[in-house]
Amino acid sequence: MAILLDENTKVIVQGITGKQGSFHAKSMIDYGTKVIAGVTPGKGGQEFLGLPVFDSMKEAVKETQATASVIFIPARFTYSAALEAIDSGIKLLTIITEGIPVKDTAKIKQKAIKNKVVMVGPNCPGLITPGASKIGIIPGEICSPGNVGIVSRSGTLTYEIIQNLTVNGFGQSTCVGLGGDPIKGIGFNECLKWFEEDPQTKQIILVGEIGGTGEQEAADLVKSEITKPVFAFIAGQTAPPGKQMGHAGAIVHGKSGTAQEKMRILVEAGITTVRTSSEIPIKIRESI
Amino acid sequence: MSILYEFEGKQLFKINYIPVPRFKVYTGKESIEEFAKELDSNVMMAKGQALSGGRGKAGLIKKVTKDEADDYIKSIIGRDHRGKPVETVLLEEPMEIQKEYYLAVMLDNESGKYLTLASSRGGVDIEEIAENYPDEIYRDTLAIDDEPLPYLFMNLGKKLGFSARTLTSFSNIMTNMINMAKKLDLTLVEINPLILTPQNQIIAADSKVVIDGNAYYRQENIASLKSQRDRYTDLEFEANEAGISYVQLDGEIGIISGGAGLSMATCDLLEFYGSSPANFLDVGGGADETKIEKSLEILSRQDVKGIFINFFAGITRCDDVAEGIINASKKFNIEAPIVIRLVGTNDKIGIRILEENGIKAYSEMEPAARKIVELVEGGN
Repeated sequence: MAILLDENTKVIVQGITGKQGSFHAKSMIDYGTKVIAGVTPGKGGQEFLGLPVFDSMKEAVKETQATASVIFIPARFTYSAALEAIDSGIKLLTIITEGIPVKDTAKIKQKAIKNKVVMVGPNCPGLITPGASKIGIIPGEICSPGNVGIVSRSGTLTYEIIQNLTVNGFGQSTCVGLGGDPIKGIGFNECLKWFEEDPQTKQIILVGEIGGTGEQEAADLVKSEITKPVFAFIAGQTAPPGKQMGHAGAIVHGKSGTAQEKMRILVEAGITTVRTSSEIPIKIRESI
Repeated sequence: MSILYEFEGKQLFKINYIPVPRFKVYTGKESIEEFAKELDSNVMMAKGQALSGGRGKAGLIKKVTKDEADDYIKSIIGRDHRGKPVETVLLEEPMEIQKEYYLAVMLDNESGKYLTLASSRGGVDIEEIAENYPDEIYRDTLAIDDEPLPYLFMNLGKKLGFSARTLTSFSNIMTNMINMAKKLDLTLVEINPLILTPQNQIIAADSKVVIDGNAYYRQENIASLKSQRDRYTDLEFEANEAGISYVQLDGEIGIISGGAGLSMATCDLLEFYGSSPANFLDVGGGADETKIEKSLEILSRQDVKGIFINFFAGITRCDDVAEGIINASKKFNIEAPIVIRLVGTNDKIGIRILEENGIKAYSEMEPAARKIVELVEGGN
């Protein structure tokens, strides 16, 4: 089963002819993802990586019945591309692009919620259901199919954790990289609920970092609704405190932004926290 | 997230119809004379400009006469405030106070909406208000696309105690704060205190404005302000210009990594093994060899006892990382021991490039981190 995507998910790559887009579209195809078309305005009618290229998302979805798209487009053009994707009727939108103004992200998010589109990112590595399909840039070769669900605010740190799991014999159901921006599409809680309902997922790993309140909200949800064991890693133990926190931010989010405070709240909710990624497989083994 | 100086924020307030006291940036003795003439008064505020709070307590703000002003200002220029010297001083019209308020508009991360905060307990830190009078902070949200029309804030104004005579000015200020945030890609516009004068004028006596750095490309006027340069150390600025996220810390081992999460975790791991990070450095997604080379150049100029290069490449490619390391090692004189950990996209090619140059790379992060800590601590 897994969550969000499987081997039948039809994916369009927005920005397929660009440097990043073409490199990662190819690696998605090699992994087995059903990449069905690309979109680059002005290059409609051409063929690229053996796939049809369309000028617009609307045409591409009409011709291919794709249900997902992934954006590899420079930040200043992403706003329009993302809204176009939502209007085209897809159900899963993944934005890899980094550096999008937060106001634009807030608007994209509002439209995604209104249209019931699952938005992942921006500034994220995407998602992978090992052995079936991947959307984005997570290196496929480090993953293996299995029962651990991963939801993370980080990209590269997630790879680290995935590899440690794979090497130690723990495969993954689905790994979701939420992205590192302050405003983003889906968060920990949506994924925790999906993993809870997914029969394939037996354990859940949450990878958080300093700032924001996503981890605290996840702790509340785990206490009340999640029955599967949850493990957590929080990055930023050594980060200098307070650098980015405005006063108004501090009052809304309380004193909860530090890694230490997040760990404390997660432990209180019955979540097993670790200090290094190699501890995760050890703790999972202990829990079985 | 990058904060503006008070005087820069007030310049923005002024052109966005938010009333501020009369002010002038100090440029020497003559500017004091000119400003006194403009005010038709010998008394003025001198306010040292800094990017961190607590200026009042640090003695950087003082009411002075025209004759004292120059000596006082010279005494605070160059003084350190939380790691940065004061360079600019604002001369300002002193305000009579009937009452002080707190007002803020911020783009809320959790909801993706504009959040407004208001209190009639202004003039102290918002944390203090939150702790002592939590019921006296009014919060409201406005959807990202909604127009902030003045009527929406009438009720808030009444709750804060504004009279019929001042209610319209108050709601206009709220409207203008939100419009300004929207137009200029600001993630925070804070006025603390907002002052009600005995003459029933409402005036922003301070400003705290934060701009979204991702929007620099379309907010060039703000991107080029002095504050946007001053928030960095020289090395940080240089790194930032090259598109590298770099924060100087005071530990021993310099790090170069990719991705904010892994970079943070790399810093954490050094501490976990008994050393400490000399910096945070994230080359960003899809970094090419020139960025890697630049990162090493920056570390070669920082005083580090060892360098830990840690990549788990996704959108970045290990061959680019390896090329960058080789180029840098030929160009810069790096004496500190270097430990490299390299896996992910194109790692086989990357490792081959390093090996051809006689450099060994680790494939796992924790043994590599232990190695660099051992090399550095062993050398002590």
